Amino acid sequence: MENVIEIRNLKKKYKGYSLDIPRLDIPKGFTTALIGENGAGKTTLLNFIAGVRLDYDGDLQFFGKYSDKERDKKNCPVRDMIGYTGTGNYFIPSWEIYHVEKAGKLLFKGFDSDKFWKLCKDMAVVEEEKDKQKFIQSCSDGTVMKIMLAGVLARDTNLLVLDEPASPLDPYMRDRLCEMLQNYMEEGDGERSVFFSTHNVADMENVTDYAIIMENGAVVDAGFVEDLRDKYVLVKGDSKDYEVAKDVLIGSRKNKYGFEGICLAEKIEKLTGLDILAERPTLSQISVALIKEYSRMGK
Amino acid sequence: MKISQESGIPIYQQIATQLRSDILEQRIPSGEYLPSIRGLAKELRISVITTMKAYEILEKEGLVVAVQGKGFLVRQQDAEMVKEQYRRKVEGHLQEALAAAKMARMSMDEVIMTLKILDVEGE
Repeated sequence: MENVIEIRNLKKKYKGYSLDIPRLDIPKGFTTALIGENGAGKTTLLNFIAGVRLDYDGDLQFFGKYSDKERDKKNCPVRDMIGYTGTGNYFIPSWEIYHVEKAGKLLFKGFDSDKFWKLCKDMAVVEEEKDKQKFIQSCSDGTVMKIMLAGVLARDTNLLVLDEPASPLDPYMRDRLCEMLQNYMEEGDGERSVFFSTHNVADMENVTDYAIIMENGAVVDAGFVEDLRDKYVLVKGDSKDYEVAKDVLIGSRKNKYGFEGICLAEKIEKLTGLDILAERPTLSQISVALIKEYSRMGK
Repeated sequence: MKISQESGIPIYQQIATQLRSDILEQRIPSGEYLPSIRGLAKELRISVITTMKAYEILEKEGLVVAVQGKGFLVRQQDAEMVKEQYRRKVEGHLQEALAAAKMARMSMDEVIMTLKILDVEGE
């Protein structure tokens, strides 16, 4: 298995919070989701990878051969090979939509203007010629995200780094986003990878190959979705058994009638004899349980 | 191909099952390639890893062989494979019969007796 990104000893200290990732690999040729609660460090990690921020310690390697230290050297193709979309103030406030196309052409090798406008049209961002003069500031959050997506997909990249692409989008557009990502992957035939953060795990689950779950600046678990779903078991049971079961359960929740939580498949034997229902968990269920277990919020 | 998210059967198994019968019943003839992994994933709106896992199952069963850089080639199916296909069919139908027998609270002896009677009547 080849990796598109290899992270080693990545560290960043803030007041009362630190990001610390000794080792993390993002597999090449797959779609990887970064999951975790607000403030877990997802955006920070994506910004370091995309090269939007460089104030970190540690080593990153891209596409199996380029070090982050040479990213900004002349003739280093890394920046051209990575497409990034962020959250917040991504575009210059005074920009109109056509500025995005102009800047894309200026900044990136292989920026395809026709493709950009076609994508804008497909996503109903630009329906008639005069829409190109629309101020981005006046667009809804969803439309801004669509413009960002058109901007990265119009380029010829081998890795997309997308920070919360699904959040501002409506359900139909989320479905379209999945389709667009799959088109991107199919065209790349194993050479392209996607790395995105999301809170909308269920909406994106069908296209997610690999998942990384982060809490408090650290990676809590990571793996191929099918393997994670085999690694954990979703357990439901009667409230009378909760006291016995709770030590084995992760992110468990109890109510008047029963309890629910996930448990490592290898530990399920410890629940033998209890009247429980064991199911194969979805990625969302695993994510919620792990986030809950490691959350800084009260349980 | 029909994929159910709610059936409780892992999606990769559903894909493997459907492709397996396509191969055994020669709807995908030997010498042809299975759809590309990313192409099928896109069409079915599922992840690449799920498709890969399905193809790996078929590869382990000897139905297809991975060809570097080209994809998964459907192998020539021999007589033993075709027999195996029918054995599977028998198993499937018997499983259904057993489930029905359980509902009717029939004992195993009764089930076997019924099967024998059917066999005699068939001749």
